Amino acid sequence: MAATDDKQASNEAPIEQQLYAIRQTIQARAVHGVFANWRIALVLLTQALYYGLPWISWDNRQAVLFDLAARKFYIFGLVFWPQDFVYLTGLLILSALSLFLFTAVAGRLWCGYACPQTVYTEIFMWVENWFEGDHIARRKLDASPWNAAKLKKRGLKHLVWFVIALWTGFTFVGYFTPVKTLAAEVASMGLGPWETFWILFYAFATWGNAGFMREQVCKYMCPYARFQSVMFDSDTLVISYDPGRGEPRGARSKKTDYKAAGLGACVDCGVCVQVCPTGIDIRNGLQYECIGCAACIDGCDQIMDKMGYPRGLIRYTTENAVKGKYPDQSIIRHILRPRTLIYTVLLGTIAAAFLYSLATRVPLRVDVVRDRVALSKETDDGLIENVYRLQIINKDNAPHRYTIGASGIPGLKVVSAGREIAAAPLETIDVPVSLVADPTDLKGRSIEVTVHIQAADDARIRDDVSTKFFNR
Amino acid sequence: MMQRLIHILWPSFLVAGVADIVFTSLFDPLEIMYRGEPLIEQRIAAYTLGFFIFWLLGIASSMLTCYFQRGANEINRCPLPATRRPEGCPKREGGGDCC
Repeated sequence: MAATDDKQASNEAPIEQQLYAIRQTIQARAVHGVFANWRIALVLLTQALYYGLPWISWDNRQAVLFDLAARKFYIFGLVFWPQDFVYLTGLLILSALSLFLFTAVAGRLWCGYACPQTVYTEIFMWVENWFEGDHIARRKLDASPWNAAKLKKRGLKHLVWFVIALWTGFTFVGYFTPVKTLAAEVASMGLGPWETFWILFYAFATWGNAGFMREQVCKYMCPYARFQSVMFDSDTLVISYDPGRGEPRGARSKKTDYKAAGLGACVDCGVCVQVCPTGIDIRNGLQYECIGCAACIDGCDQIMDKMGYPRGLIRYTTENAVKGKYPDQSIIRHILRPRTLIYTVLLGTIAAAFLYSLATRVPLRVDVVRDRVALSKETDDGLIENVYRLQIINKDNAPHRYTIGASGIPGLKVVSAGREIAAAPLETIDVPVSLVADPTDLKGRSIEVTVHIQAADDARIRDDVSTKFFNR
Repeated sequence: MMQRLIHILWPSFLVAGVADIVFTSLFDPLEIMYRGEPLIEQRIAAYTLGFFIFWLLGIASSMLTCYFQRGANEINRCPLPATRRPEGCPKREGGGDCC
């Protein structure tokens, strides 16, 4: 055992370095099975969503549009303004907590099935498989000198990669500037410089990450992979090799009674290592490189079927189950534990607060700015007048008329220019307003007053803003 | 070298993304004035430039981190064995432990 450890240690250091500098390309063997099918389904689902969403319309505009140029985010019927930043924060907290919960229950589900890095690598590997053949053919091609055939295979692969990457980049920018305008601009070659830059930048990142970097992104660049261990415990569902069943591993003929021969169920075929996209050996236990893609489960199950052994030598199980503390059947009962309960309660509370706040959101925002030139002046009737500018943002999808009131000083009156205060959907209007008060009612140099803005047609839409009223 | 490069470029990239989002949601770039004139006319341009400015700042900071990370031993003594030092290095031949 000590000898193998030494061997591993001496092997590992140079490989680590090579992965950064002249990394050995991992040519993973394609795998079929239940989990591979799950991944294909999720790749198709997430990409249908990603590529399709910008093209869906809602209320005569793009349903999901983060309109950066206009500083408005449209998500179906909702419109968010920069002042609604708190919702973005809330969403991030919710996402983080969900990730914690999923990870605590079932490990790196996100990494294995839904992370864009996994998804695009998967798509790019389909293309690679199509043009260059399986992992053995690809390794041969890697080693072969450049000739017409290699150039053709590589060229076609990169061409298709490039098209996919470009489409991905285009879609990405389509979330931030209206996608239909963008498409028209591309068609007429009239794309602006900034849009062009971001399409190419994102396409280049996709091409590099999914075509070349691949597992290195997960190993060296992903922050999540580094702190995953704090979310794991002994009851977390992870992909594990069952050493109790597998060891001692060794080659044997299908006909041998391996138990009589003193062997475990592992035939040491190495398929689990060949299919691994990060090139690790799951039999060495849980490692931070493992992205939880379950390719080794599919690969091993195929071999177990061929050998006529029961499946599940490598399977989703927990550390405690592998140790024999409880059978696999009672894993479900161990999902409920303090850690998952705390995550669930937190997640539920914040989600409820988030939804409540979203549902009761008032689609009106008012900012008040004092007129800087004249702090206060006396009118012909001997009253004190202060002038303000109200910035009224109608955050609603409908037009509204507003009435303005004020309080804080007895007999305080609002004098507006007499015109109707109305704002079109999503319009921001500036309204000059003056407040007038009798000097006998004024106590002190400056008095706190509140301006009330109320939609004439909807009692729920109102906003109160405080400001100062200055005496002469 | 590649490792260093990733250590410098990648964390600063992540931080630049966050900084750009936070900064531009708090301030409308069109309202940034420089000597009484709006500094920039297009928002998308402002976001893009902002991102790269933040990235450059992050890169500078990460580079300094890498620079100051070298221990006293590494500064006093070249970490490479004499035979593996780059060509042209005066300490390449007959080095022993001390540089």
